Amino acid sequence: MIVPDWLNHRWVIVPLAMLTLVLAWNGYVAVNSGGKVEGQVVDAAGRPVADATVILLDRHFVMHNERQRTRTDSRGHFLFTGNDNHSLQLEAEAAGLGRSERRLVRLWFRAQNVRLAEPLQFAGRLP
Amino acid sequence: MLLPFYWVLKTAISNENIYAYPPRLLPESPHLFNFVDVWYFIPFPRYLLNSLIVSALVVVCNIALNAMAAYALSKSFPGRRAVLLLFLSCMLIPFQATIIPAYLITSKLGLLNSYLGLALPLLSTIVCIFVFKAAFEAVPQSLIDAARIDGLADRHIILRVLMPLSKAAIATNIVLAFIWSWNAFLWPLIITRDPNMQTLPLGLARFLSYLEDTTGALYAFAVMVLAPSIFVFLMAQKEFIRGLTSGATKG
Repeated sequence: MIVPDWLNHRWVIVPLAMLTLVLAWNGYVAVNSGGKVEGQVVDAAGRPVADATVILLDRHFVMHNERQRTRTDSRGHFLFTGNDNHSLQLEAEAAGLGRSERRLVRLWFRAQNVRLAEPLQFAGRLP
Repeated sequence: MLLPFYWVLKTAISNENIYAYPPRLLPESPHLFNFVDVWYFIPFPRYLLNSLIVSALVVVCNIALNAMAAYALSKSFPGRRAVLLLFLSCMLIPFQATIIPAYLITSKLGLLNSYLGLALPLLSTIVCIFVFKAAFEAVPQSLIDAARIDGLADRHIILRVLMPLSKAAIATNIVLAFIWSWNAFLWPLIITRDPNMQTLPLGLARFLSYLEDTTGALYAFAVMVLAPSIFVFLMAQKEFIRGLTSGATKG
């Protein structure tokens, strides 16, 4: 196949490569932006904590403000929907266990679906 | 020479304070999330679009208008020397000194808060006219005479004979016009009222007022503002340097 001379020029190749990257990235964003944030809450021994309250805080410049709350199910799982921020903090609290450490979650784009790789952990143990 | 650039990039991908002591050469736990913050904290895509539109306008008009002016100045006509002297002396006057009349003229034209108004003072620049003039004067007169005998009008001589032979001058015009319009701060600050018409340098100032720190996000913004100018320069550097040096020596 003969490639026209004008196509084989850096002022064409580089912008076309950049355009391709941008389109591919936007396609990835469109597929993965459902606003879901999910994870698990465990105690110090790694056992799931049921009925714990999980708080989602989102960032506005220098402050993180509380946005949503949800409760964990019997396996300690939680799910937030409708997140539209790119920088979050998650914290869990439960009766008898106090509060977990506050976890910073950075996303690559707004409303990115994310599942926490590490569970939120309380310092105390379940009785 | 590249150390300041490296330091800005290093600060942008880490959250280290730029004044941290002792300074580290390598970034500690580097990440790209500062760029994400910049993209979302302010209307970065809007500023980027505005800067791109204004720069594209400036580049296109610079090439068209400067080529025409340079073609005229490369011919001999009564008063040519006076016009050249006028242009050269105009280069001595700083833009800040003419900014009030420029604002009044733009206002009378009804171009405040518009892309054309933002681009107006840079639509033609004297330095770039001289770059084109040097390139056009390097083209043998016999070539232009032959084109004229073939029946080409002046505008076709510029388009079909001189411009294809002046690629270095075109690249120099693109690089200089792009960088000047991309980095312009004072003029956009004065003539834009609507935040949606602001360009990236104004966005940088606004971002600085929000995040008064010397850590990651601010430097990530600086990198994002700088990147397109560096990209254009790197793409056209060979022609740019040739264009600036052509006509610098005789013989």
